[in-house]
Amino acid sequence: MTTIRRFCCEDLLRFAPVNLDHLTETFNMSFYMTYLARWPDYFHVAESPGGRIMGYIMGKVEGQGESWHGHVTAVTVACEYRRQQLAKKLMHLLEDVSDKIWPSVQSLSKFDTFEALLLLSFNAGIHFKFLDGAEEEPKLGYVIYRRVLRYYSGEEDGLDMRKALSRDVEKKSIIPLKRPVTPDELEYD
Amino acid sequence: MASKLGLAGGIPERRVRPIWDAVDSRQFKTALKLSAALLAKYPNSPYALALKALILERTGKLDEALSVCLEAKELLQSNDLSIIHIDDLTLSTLQIVFQRLGRLDLATSCYEHACGKFINNLEIMMGLFNCYVREYSFVKQQQIAIKMYKIVAEERFLLWAICSIQLQVLCSKGGEKLLSLAEALLKKHVASHSLHEPEALTMYISILEQQAKYGDALEVLSGNFGSLIGIEADKFRMQGRLFARACNYAAAAEVYRKVLHSCPDDWVSFLNYLGCLLENDFNRSANSFNQICHSNGIDLQGCKSTKLLKEVFDSRMSEALCFMQNLKMEVNDDRVRCPYLATIEIERQCCLRGKADEMLMQAILDYFQRFGHLSCFVSDIELFLSSLTANEKAELLEKFVGISESSSSGTLKKLGQVVTIFKLKELFGFIFTVPVEELEASAKKMVVVYCENLVLSKDLDHQENMYGEELLPMASNALVLLFWRTGYLGYLLEAVLVLEFGLNIRKYTWQYKLPLLHLYSYLRALPLAYEWYGTLDVKNILLETTSHHIVPHLLASPLLPEASAVLKDYLKFMDEHLKEAADLTFLAYRHRNYSKVIEFVQFKERLEHSNQYAFARIEFSILQLKQKADNFEEVECILEKLNNGTQLIQLSDEEKLNSVTFNEDFQLRPWWSPNPHVNYLSEPFEEVSTYLHGKLVKHQADEHEGIVRKVIQRKSLIPRLIYLSIHSASTVLKETVEQNGSDATNNSELRNLLETYARNMGLTFDDAVKLIYGISKGRKSLKDISSGMMLDCMNFAVFLNAWNFFSHHPLLQQDGQCPLSCHMVDDLVKACTLEKSMCEWQFFEGPGSNFSILVQLITEPFTWHALIIQSCVRSMVPSGKKKKKSGPGEQLNLQQVPLLQSSIDCLICAIQRTHRWLGDQSSTPEDRRLDVLSSQLLETEQERGPGHILRILEENASSGHSELGERISGALQLWNSADVLRKLVSSQESYVSKFKDICESKLKWLESLKRSF
Repeated sequence: MTTIRRFCCEDLLRFAPVNLDHLTETFNMSFYMTYLARWPDYFHVAESPGGRIMGYIMGKVEGQGESWHGHVTAVTVACEYRRQQLAKKLMHLLEDVSDKIWPSVQSLSKFDTFEALLLLSFNAGIHFKFLDGAEEEPKLGYVIYRRVLRYYSGEEDGLDMRKALSRDVEKKSIIPLKRPVTPDELEYD
Repeated sequence: MASKLGLAGGIPERRVRPIWDAVDSRQFKTALKLSAALLAKYPNSPYALALKALILERTGKLDEALSVCLEAKELLQSNDLSIIHIDDLTLSTLQIVFQRLGRLDLATSCYEHACGKFINNLEIMMGLFNCYVREYSFVKQQQIAIKMYKIVAEERFLLWAICSIQLQVLCSKGGEKLLSLAEALLKKHVASHSLHEPEALTMYISILEQQAKYGDALEVLSGNFGSLIGIEADKFRMQGRLFARACNYAAAAEVYRKVLHSCPDDWVSFLNYLGCLLENDFNRSANSFNQICHSNGIDLQGCKSTKLLKEVFDSRMSEALCFMQNLKMEVNDDRVRCPYLATIEIERQCCLRGKADEMLMQAILDYFQRFGHLSCFVSDIELFLSSLTANEKAELLEKFVGISESSSSGTLKKLGQVVTIFKLKELFGFIFTVPVEELEASAKKMVVVYCENLVLSKDLDHQENMYGEELLPMASNALVLLFWRTGYLGYLLEAVLVLEFGLNIRKYTWQYKLPLLHLYSYLRALPLAYEWYGTLDVKNILLETTSHHIVPHLLASPLLPEASAVLKDYLKFMDEHLKEAADLTFLAYRHRNYSKVIEFVQFKERLEHSNQYAFARIEFSILQLKQKADNFEEVECILEKLNNGTQLIQLSDEEKLNSVTFNEDFQLRPWWSPNPHVNYLSEPFEEVSTYLHGKLVKHQADEHEGIVRKVIQRKSLIPRLIYLSIHSASTVLKETVEQNGSDATNNSELRNLLETYARNMGLTFDDAVKLIYGISKGRKSLKDISSGMMLDCMNFAVFLNAWNFFSHHPLLQQDGQCPLSCHMVDDLVKACTLEKSMCEWQFFEGPGSNFSILVQLITEPFTWHALIIQSCVRSMVPSGKKKKKSGPGEQLNLQQVPLLQSSIDCLICAIQRTHRWLGDQSSTPEDRRLDVLSSQLLETEQERGPGHILRILEENASSGHSELGERISGALQLWNSADVLRKLVSSQESYVSKFKDICESKLKWLESLKRSF
């Protein structure tokens, strides 16, 4: 049971049961509020019948013209609501937003790399291999576009995962790169 | 006047860039040198001065920075535009420095002046608008936005003005007639320019909705503008709400049906749909602006559908049931729960109208059958269960058990159902009423089920939630209750061990860590509790919602540096956010997300008024005074920074107290301590259990809020009381008996504050005096008052004595003969210390326990008393060549000297006694203590009693479990309960040792004070 709506500031005061999880980062206030101020359509929360926060997704928009794309910064689900494919639902919502709300630009949803993948793969029951139908759709349709060397704190590699949306008919934007890149080669932060 | 190509603030950019580069790379010396050279070349350039000020500010030379800024400002306002260059770069650079110096007013004044000089310059006007945003000057924001709109007729400037109007209405209680002005402005704009932004439309709808012009709003939404709302379901939700608020229930219900067709799991839309069928009043819910960011459903719990005729009601409910039935078939997805839960709600409504509850029970059973294995099952149906009688609850549970036992579903699903049944038993409060034997059996079963099902998690990653992990906190809860009911410490230790066992297998489970930290705090192993708190990584906004788990424990403990560190982090977070909040608001303006503008301002107000923010500011200052008490100059310095204590009193004026907000998330606290002021374990089981039964974890919010307000008020007085007391003490010898005006004012303020303090204790001034006098004379037993009250009495006595002692004309007499004096404080010090250090060794550290009260007595009132005496001593023994004045004043003090000396002796004696007591407590070797603890866990011959659950844990750990996989079996092999108990004992020892250190440091200070006489 999921009422999905835009995230609002007061949700910050209610998301402790979600964010106390060790895989969910609690950012500083300007980080959340910059996302809210700039891309409110990319920041959604799922609420339970009792008004508890089940999970949320935050993302942003980057690039111009052909390289315009949506970017998922974080997606997380409270323990109580894991293994119900809620993260998948939230991901689809952001894909819809990128596809329909911003239709005038080329839509390419870029699923932020290793952190989000980790976040999804562990916990959440959103670990794709535990999702029903995971065999047919292993990563919600995202493909590994490129590997980013030592992306996380100069240690772990990151994966830049992408999914082409409807406007990229030929799926040009997701043809995997042959070689890995370093963080300084990334176009966006 | 605008920046020309290659020019920055009227100066060639090549000259300016090196300065910025140096600033960016933090080469401030170089930057300053370059800036001096620049100023030599351009002495009249406000921009060059602004750059210099910026560098000075960064290097911490705040006064100089301000003075340079003011110089620049003067130049800007010199009216000689032929030589003075003004542009946005100059203004914005100055603005940055003024803002960092906390002088927003000066930045605004620069922009206002520039706007006056360069009429219709949009860039500067936007800068000025930004200044007003930073100052939260909504009216001025509106005016400048309108001016900009008039110049270029851009939609965004109009909406800036509309937002400013909204803010006046919502935050400044501005007249609602402003809304009609906003509407008129929008209407006119729409007619001439149309609307282009989704958020502009949202604001337009909101303005209309707030004026109850629902028809107009619907018209706007139904027209072309409706397409601005990107997600169709969102548009329908808005329409539904507007129809419902306009009491057009049929149309609203129809719209909500559409929403449910596209989003069948949307619970709020279902509630609104049902609310429309029941024709409930939608206008009772929150203000319409909030509807923009919240999707609050109508509160059906509080609504009674009495106004519908029975036939109409019946037909509508069957229509709703039918609709849900269709949805279930249409969706055919076993993850969509809304239509099933909706059926329960519809049946509940029918029961409220007198229908038998059979169908309701059946709907709940169906729901269990489908979703009973999910972790969220209990929270889903919690609301519907509260109205059931105890018998109905028992019957339901029995049926759930039947379903679970007879079902042929897989192991995972069965485990989920078993967990749910245990959760329900806890929710229903059965654990309070079942016999102790049964409760213990239930705890055992939970641990056994957990251990038996570990194998299900063998392939999971160690970061992934394990199956059945909710069982351990429930078993731990039951064990805490067993301890409460029987008094056997062994159960409490088992409650700890069960959680530690779980963390040994999976170290990430915060649901284990929180109860564990409370248990450790209760067991006076606070250092260990603090360690676990650290692993939760509570930071940023979580400090506001979650730090209540540790802060109150730390503040009443000898862990002063730790308390200081947490408060410092919290204050840093809050101060930083409050500083940057306005800039983020402007960001929302710039990106045309107008609803966020309103939300940000309201949220900033909510945080600014946080009770914890006020409390932390006060406590942090008191903490500094406690920590620095042995250095009088530092104490004076701290007080001076607090504006001699008045700054904190301002935090607790009536208006501020009434507007404090409560943002803590108490849901995650253990049932036995639903808020920081309550600990049921400190009270007898019988007295509280009746109250608790059926109300598990539903603390009394109002009561808590009342207590918090009182604490804020009381604590806010302390620094000022200290200041006035030591100030009075220090002037005793400097003046003659005749008081000067300032002394008289101080004395009367002291008296007023004491009256406020007494009122805060729930007493009149006279009654408070009588109470402490009674205690000091042994006529009133300290056993008759709470520990908190004892602390208050001691504080009151100390400051009362200061007021009375130094007022030259002792005013207070009791029994018509005995003037109140230091003796009274001395007697009270003795009585309190004796009362609290006479007890036997205790393991527990509940609120108000002997340890925490003794810590607080010594670090607070005893310390304040010693400070007051020290101040007096300092005035009697002037330093340097200054001669003592002679006269009647001196005579008076010399008479009082023995009293002061004996008071110091009394404090020394009390602290020595406490120190000895602590020594006795810690003299037992660690191994012996460990033996004592372990003996609490020795199994008896009987079937029940502490120790059995530990045996289950040990057995599971010791036997080889290759089937559990490498990770879990490896963790099990590492499990050692003795290690856990040893850590507990050594943490308790560390607590006592820190307390002893405090006593030793106080004794050292007091001895030196004694020598100074």
